[in-house]
Amino acid sequence: MVKESLAPGDLLPSKITEKFLSALAISFVVATALAYSASAQTFSRAFPVPPGTSELEVVNQTGTIKVTSGANTSRILISARYSENAAKIDATQNAQGKVKVEVIGQGAVDFEITVPSSSDIDLLSYKGAIVVTNLAGAVRARITDGNIQISGLRSPRVEAHCTQGNVSFSGEVLPSGSYTLKSFSGRVDAYLPTNADFKLSAASFGPGGMNLGAFQMRYDKQTHQLVEASHGAGRASIILWTQEGSINLHRKP
Amino acid sequence: MECRAVINSLSDYLDSQNFWISDDEVKQIDTHLTNCPACQNLKDELGEIKTAARELPLHTPPRAMWTKIANVIEAEISAENAPPHQPKNASGWWGWLRSRKFTFSLPQLAAGGAVAAALIIAGISGILSPHSGALDFQKAQSALLLPEEREIKVELDRRMDALNARKATWDPQRRAEFEQRMNKIDESLNQCRHILKDNPQDADHQKEMRYLYVEKRQILEDVERLKW
Repeated sequence: MVKESLAPGDLLPSKITEKFLSALAISFVVATALAYSASAQTFSRAFPVPPGTSELEVVNQTGTIKVTSGANTSRILISARYSENAAKIDATQNAQGKVKVEVIGQGAVDFEITVPSSSDIDLLSYKGAIVVTNLAGAVRARITDGNIQISGLRSPRVEAHCTQGNVSFSGEVLPSGSYTLKSFSGRVDAYLPTNADFKLSAASFGPGGMNLGAFQMRYDKQTHQLVEASHGAGRASIILWTQEGSINLHRKP
Repeated sequence: MECRAVINSLSDYLDSQNFWISDDEVKQIDTHLTNCPACQNLKDELGEIKTAARELPLHTPPRAMWTKIANVIEAEISAENAPPHQPKNASGWWGWLRSRKFTFSLPQLAAGGAVAAALIIAGISGILSPHSGALDFQKAQSALLLPEEREIKVELDRRMDALNARKATWDPQRRAEFEQRMNKIDESLNQCRHILKDNPQDADHQKEMRYLYVEKRQILEDVERLKW
């Protein structure tokens, strides 16, 4: 019996199938992306705010909220992207200048917001992510299902709390500051300057435990679940909690 | 003032804050009591019952109780809306009992109330006896293990009641996720309870309970803010 031989340029039947499937997959991805961009809606608003005392509150249902400091010190700029049948976005400003953005109904909305760096912000989302960068005002971030990432902060007060997800904080620790980072079932990571001056209260009831070795601290209390300790003069207050995850203290690079 | 009027007002009179009777009535009852040993005796007896009732332990009913009550109410509403019909055997002892009208004096009512309260307490104690593992667990759940726990529970119940009224309108997936999260917290709380029951001074688990209650309140606050 004589076998048919294939020339070097010829394709094996399995390779033909592979190429066909790849082309099909690419077409599907492109078609989906085009369909999404065709149905996506955008929202943008700008609010003038008094310099130095601006306040922003965002209540989102699903999606990402990104807030960063902008060059403009007297304006809050909000832009959002959402699918056509998504919920309604309501953005208002009260007599004191506080801006409130609220999503009513369901559907994913992704926000990108720039604020004056000294703004106080209060963010809530049910599902998605919260990302805050380079602010110096008070920050309150709360998400039920998703991660919170806070970096480049010089804030006197930070409260970040998620139920199912990770919390990561990287920033300065001001002497009279208060920093509370909590997650029911995720990791809590705090990246602090080497010379940070703080009193720590950490509680981790999950199997992940606590990794606090990055700082040489004076321990007032230490069990395998609770730690109360100080670094420096112990001026700022840091509270870290997780029920099922882990707590990790790092030196900021 | 006559004995009958005094007897009718005694319960309100014994209330520490006399919302329901005027100062004049209080003075009249005071005068009557100083001159009427029978009414004075009755007042003392009612006072003792009231004091005893105040010292009875509070029991948080199991969650399933509300479901049972709701079922009874629904059944009654359905019965009211249903077309009227004659009971099959209205002439039996039950029919006779229903056709009778009973009137009781205040002391009879008080005594009856005390017996009913005692039976209820005995019943609850029997249900939550240490012979039943599952129900012993319920007892552990209802005990207060933190000094501020009663206030926390009242607040959480208030918030939960408000949510329960509109939970049926939520997206089913969200509702399931919400229930799952609350159950997870409750599981952790119950574990703490069991440990604290054996060692009430365990500071680590007291702190854990406080964090868990804060988490629970936080989830309820979120739902309110999200306007579900």
